Amino acid sequence: MKKIASVLALLFPILCMAGESAQTLVDTDLMQEPYSDAKSLAKLKAHTAVEVLKRMGGWLQVKPSENPEGWLKLTVVKLGGAGAGADTKGDTGLTALWNTATQGRSGNTGVTVATGVRGLSPEDMKNAKPNPEAVKKLGDFAVNKSQAEAAAKKAKLSKHDIDYFADAAGSKK
Amino acid sequence: MSPRTLWLWVLLLLATTYAQAFTLDLNKLIDAGKKVGETKEVDEHGEAEIGNTAAASLLGAAPLVDNPQLQRYVNKVGLWLAMQTERPDLPWRFGVMDSDSVNAFAAPGGYVFITRGLLLQMHSEAELAGVLAHEIAHVVKRHHLVAIQKNAKTGLASDLLSMAVDNTGSQYGEWQKKAISASTELYARGLDKEDEFEADRMGVVIAARAGYDPYGLPAVLQTLDSMNPQDSNLALMFKTHPAARKRLELLDTLMTGTMERYASQPVVADRFEQVVGAYARAGK
Repeated sequence: MKKIASVLALLFPILCMAGESAQTLVDTDLMQEPYSDAKSLAKLKAHTAVEVLKRMGGWLQVKPSENPEGWLKLTVVKLGGAGAGADTKGDTGLTALWNTATQGRSGNTGVTVATGVRGLSPEDMKNAKPNPEAVKKLGDFAVNKSQAEAAAKKAKLSKHDIDYFADAAGSKK
Repeated sequence: MSPRTLWLWVLLLLATTYAQAFTLDLNKLIDAGKKVGETKEVDEHGEAEIGNTAAASLLGAAPLVDNPQLQRYVNKVGLWLAMQTERPDLPWRFGVMDSDSVNAFAAPGGYVFITRGLLLQMHSEAELAGVLAHEIAHVVKRHHLVAIQKNAKTGLASDLLSMAVDNTGSQYGEWQKKAISASTELYARGLDKEDEFEADRMGVVIAARAGYDPYGLPAVLQTLDSMNPQDSNLALMFKTHPAARKRLELLDTLMTGTMERYASQPVVADRFEQVVGAYARAGK
């Protein structure tokens, strides 16, 4: 089973950001390493198209078409690509898989599946009729602390004592 | 009247006046205390009652995804994060809502929801953790509790206290109506911007405490910033939150030099892909 899962993961490397197109927001340096004091590889103009290879902390590894691979801060990059107008939906992550699964199915039968009203517009929210049964149902999926801790351990997550940031008034929040 | 008796009368008069003045001040103090109590010092029972009603309103707008494996996964991630806060012992409940809308919500008492639309935009568990931690921060700071009580014309918590314990009475029904309209109005309008920024600042710290790469939340904000603001699935999120780009920039300034040392913590992309990917591939 595990083998199948890893083979599937190889076949569908869907979640690395590789291939997502993006553009620079401002004139910026393309860095050799993901650090602000790293060597600059090139100067990129605002709106330079780049391909995103991966994210590491607050940095993205990118490949501009005219330059070698390098690193840009998250904040100077806009995902979605140069020339991508307001008509780009900007779907990332697993959305494409979901769309294939749901719309693919409707395509096979030749019937357009109406998924019903599943919006959460401001109007929907205002007119919502409460569903207390669904709140009770939530209890079925609750876990206890030792289950949460075991799951964290499995993913090699270890906890740290870190203070909250002080707000503008100087109090820890 | 002897001079001695006169003195006694004067003393008595003075004492009465003093006592009256004191009583009045005391009443004022009690009133002030009640007012503070209504907005800030709600006990956990009152918070749970208001939270139940708010959560029922949210789930009335969009139901839960019918996928126990996915729901339990989100509860494991969420509780682990909540355990790293000042309120680890609340009855925390996490849920994925069956909606294409891109959004996440919190309700008083420990309820946190994320929509399918937002979940499927993500690349790793660290991104999920960043969003859940932001919502957890709202609960820890009682942001919605305070705002819902402000929305209700009279104090929901004091009404609860003055009511009979009997939760089936008509009085309780009236109370619920008031709590429902106060919460749906809040979810349609959103919290104060400063509450959102505060939840961002706390969220990245909570994620780092739990061992995740704290840049999960900034990464999600970057994704949101790339999405078409005209898309109706984003309408409520964009209406109720400050601009994603602004939030991203504020976080980046704060995190540079302080959070970078935790950036190499795990993002847990494999497990996320396994569980959420299975759900996406099946389309249910």
